[in-house]
Amino acid sequence: MALLEVENLTKVYGKGETAVTALSHVSLSVDAGEFVAVMGPSGCGKSTLLHLIGGLDRPTDGQVIIEGAPLTKLSDEDLTRLRRRRIGFIFQFFNLIPVLTATENAALPITLDGANPGQAKAKAREWLEKVGLGNRLDNRPDQLSGGQQQRVAVARALVADPKLILADEPTGNLDTRASEEVVTLLRQAADDWGRAVVMVTHDARIASYADRILFMRDGVIVQEARFPIRDDHNADRVMDLMRQLA
Amino acid sequence: MLQFEMTLAARELSQRKLRTVLTTLAITLGTLVIFGMNILLPTLLKAFQSGVLSASGQVDVTITMKTDETFSRSVLNSVRRVDGVSVASGLLSRTTNIPDKFYGNAKVGALTVTGIEPSAAQVLHNYDVVEGRFLRSDDPQAAVITKSLADTLGLGVGDKLRLPTTEGATTLKVVGLLPARTLPGNEQVLITLLQAQKLLDLPDRINTIEANLDTADSARRQAILDEIAATVGKDFTLGGMSSGTELLSNIQMAQMAFNLFGFLALFMGSFIIFNSFRTIVSERRHDIGMLRAIGASRRTILGVILVEGLIQGIIGTALGIVLGYLMGAGIVALYVPLMQNYLHISIGQPVVSLWLFVVTIGLGVGATVLAGLLPAIHATRVTPLDALRPASAETERRTSRVSFIVGVALLAASIAGLLSGNLSLVALGCLFFLIGLILVAPALVQPIASVFSALLALVFAREGTGTLAKSNVSRQPTRAAITASATMIGLAIIVGMGGVVWSITGGFLDVLQRSLGSDYLLMPPSVGLWQSNVGAKGDLAQRIRGIPGVAMVSTLRYAMASGDGQAVAVLGIDPQAYPQVASLTFQQGDTATAYADLADGRAMIANGVFAAQTHLNAGDVVQLSTPTGVKPYTIVAVASDYLNSKISTAYISQANLQADFRKTEDIFIQVNLQPSADAGLVEARLNDILKDYPQFSLVSGRGFIEQNRRLFNVVFGVMFVLLGVLVMPSLIALLNTLMIGVIERTREIGMLRAIGSTRRQVSRIVVVESLLLAAIGTALGLLAGLYLGYVMVLAMKVVGYPVTYSFPYAGLGAGIAIGLLFGVVAAMIPARQAARMDIIRALQYE
Repeated sequence: MALLEVENLTKVYGKGETAVTALSHVSLSVDAGEFVAVMGPSGCGKSTLLHLIGGLDRPTDGQVIIEGAPLTKLSDEDLTRLRRRRIGFIFQFFNLIPVLTATENAALPITLDGANPGQAKAKAREWLEKVGLGNRLDNRPDQLSGGQQQRVAVARALVADPKLILADEPTGNLDTRASEEVVTLLRQAADDWGRAVVMVTHDARIASYADRILFMRDGVIVQEARFPIRDDHNADRVMDLMRQLA
Repeated sequence: MLQFEMTLAARELSQRKLRTVLTTLAITLGTLVIFGMNILLPTLLKAFQSGVLSASGQVDVTITMKTDETFSRSVLNSVRRVDGVSVASGLLSRTTNIPDKFYGNAKVGALTVTGIEPSAAQVLHNYDVVEGRFLRSDDPQAAVITKSLADTLGLGVGDKLRLPTTEGATTLKVVGLLPARTLPGNEQVLITLLQAQKLLDLPDRINTIEANLDTADSARRQAILDEIAATVGKDFTLGGMSSGTELLSNIQMAQMAFNLFGFLALFMGSFIIFNSFRTIVSERRHDIGMLRAIGASRRTILGVILVEGLIQGIIGTALGIVLGYLMGAGIVALYVPLMQNYLHISIGQPVVSLWLFVVTIGLGVGATVLAGLLPAIHATRVTPLDALRPASAETERRTSRVSFIVGVALLAASIAGLLSGNLSLVALGCLFFLIGLILVAPALVQPIASVFSALLALVFAREGTGTLAKSNVSRQPTRAAITASATMIGLAIIVGMGGVVWSITGGFLDVLQRSLGSDYLLMPPSVGLWQSNVGAKGDLAQRIRGIPGVAMVSTLRYAMASGDGQAVAVLGIDPQAYPQVASLTFQQGDTATAYADLADGRAMIANGVFAAQTHLNAGDVVQLSTPTGVKPYTIVAVASDYLNSKISTAYISQANLQADFRKTEDIFIQVNLQPSADAGLVEARLNDILKDYPQFSLVSGRGFIEQNRRLFNVVFGVMFVLLGVLVMPSLIALLNTLMIGVIERTREIGMLRAIGSTRRQVSRIVVVESLLLAAIGTALGLLAGLYLGYVMVLAMKVVGYPVTYSFPYAGLGAGIAIGLLFGVVAAMIPARQAARMDIIRALQYE
């Protein structure tokens, strides 16, 4: 069974004449160790999809199943616990707490889960070292570059050992080099650490790191592309596909 | 252009309703206290002035003795001889308290009986008789009263008017009516001077000369006044009378204290406004940057922020004035029976001066605009580029070192002031202490927060909420410090006043027990304001001594004098009898010999107020000006009794009072029974005798102490309600800061919820944050409150009140409880708001 299954997912905002369908009967599945990118123009519903998968919002219809558990049946409390333990989030603007150090920020999900503070920090340090920030453990966000901040966010997403990582435009606020560093980490999360990664992006080059790319338009998935072999031309292929779809 | 600023400001205010309400409320509370208190106290003052102090009327000059005593009519003749005096008239006037039920159900607290020389008085006052006729110099037993008094008493021309006198009640015939009295104050009963001298048993004496001058030229008038002053000598004063000045100064002191509280409240209000506007500016950096990008000038930005402040200032002040009036009028209404019963002074309508409006509006609106000014200037520095940067909660890099150093210096100076023991230095030190704490507070936020969060971590361990809350508090040390300072001031007032109340109740009730511990008291209508009471000749005391079962009778007699330039009430006691029924509380001198010393030559026991005013001690000699000339009195001790503890008083022997002041009238009588006496029987006999002396009421000693304890409770009850009003701004400040924090950290909260914080955890972060802020404020507030209380008690002691500082354990307990309660209450709304936040919207919040 796939790690993540999305069945017939629909989201309608508003009612009656003002109703807007953001997502319409979307289905997909993602396996453990698989890296999926979601692309599409602004307003196509990709962020809505990500929010629904992450349990940040509830669908109008259809369902999301993570590790066999349907999210729709969960209470707010259970949904929160699920986010804390089974999902890692990465945001465009890093969203670190400015007054906490890199270690404290990375440790947040397990700290919130009531872990022993010493153990939580040790685990956070371990992950920070894995993402290459072993020398920045006690720095606060304002003492880190954008790329470094996003890597702290990646460590935070991985620290609770969730099976699923959701990234919403994780490179949208970074320069080319930092973007590549971050997406390489996500690739590593899938390949080396066996996580399922779902990433929303605008950037063809970043999307080309994924195993599979879903193209969306007007709330539906219009095309799916797979790149079994990773090479430098994948990005150009993605660009071509986008042009065709446009 | 201004219309654009107005529109924008109004929209912004209506968008954030809760914050707007809270900020406006802060201003309302400050102005409420200032406006309300300044209605209440002037109303009381005016009641005193019109009830106790003689208004000088329409005449050019009134001449009285500094001591308010009577003097020989011969002085009038010398005044008449001064060149430039067109007419002069002598009068003998006395305010007489009217016992309850004296006129049946008609309510008359006191009457001023004035003996006049009809022809001269008519020239001076041009009395307008509306019914009947005016007095004639040969009118026996005749009186002219106002239409309003006649209506109150149900009298008409030709009817009889009863009046209490030293020899029992007398009856006068009403011959004419004057127009109804329109001013607040006592009704007047005009009789002939001769009649007054007879009634008051003061043959050939007057107590006031009224005169008109023959010129309107101010230089010439001054010359004539100087000439009159030289003629009558230094024992006389020109203008109004000085009696009642002690109580007047008491009220003025209260007014100062309440104004101080009002300013503190407004100060807290300004803090809140400042805090709000700082946030408004940082929150709207995007919008402001965008406005700048599309061409708005710095001036426009400044205008938008200031107009917002102005709108809130105007609304807040207007509300404050309305509520303040209601509060002032409400308390006046509460005080009416108190003043009526205890001082026999009637209170008029609440006094509202135009000035009070101007000052309140100036302070309310001014404070708001000023508090908004700095943040507004800050807003003008926002660049168009700021519109493009992502928003995140700002973190202050470091706190100002200069203000920290100044704060430490002020704290050091305040400690030095405290150690000096000098009242002015200690009081100045108190101010320094408050300001010093406010300046040092930002630097203390981190360490105090660490200590308290360690404590809180014991409760909320393992979830990181404590750490997050602590970080939230210390990320903006200045804002946290401002909030904590507001809490500090609120709690300082509570703990400080707690200290004063604690000390007063302890001290006063003890003195009360000692000085009025006799079995029975024969009380005149007005206690403390002796000069307006009609006493009784010595035969009343004699008759009481004759009642079987009475062991001891002690009386008080009264005269007014001035000693070393200070007005002082002189009380005549019987040195043998007094200590057997009551006792003074001694501050200096030998208890054992002090009473006996009074009988030996011219000696006095000064009370604390008089000793403090004249800077004299036991052993010193004070020159008392008496109706028989200046007499030297040796101070043998400094001691106070309860009734006179607030008034400058000297106790001398009744023999000396008779010799030097010609006073033999008993105004207050204390009675002790024999152990075997039948109290019921004695009481019946006493009541019987008192039928002839309706000015006295019979009270049991224990009953009186109980009554006073209740009075204390009422007064302090009112005071604590006021304190409650003063403390509200602290709560609002706390709530405001938390709200601001939650709004600012919207995205962080969204993120925390996204990565798995439960609603309860988010809400707990806000509660802990609130508790930390409250704890910092409470810690500082307790320190400041102890200092404030000590200063106030010291100040009371220095002016002679018999109080000693008691450490306000209860005040401290209350302070801590209130601080914690504030922490929880203030967090309720913001915590709810944080917990209920929609995750996606929060994540997209800019």
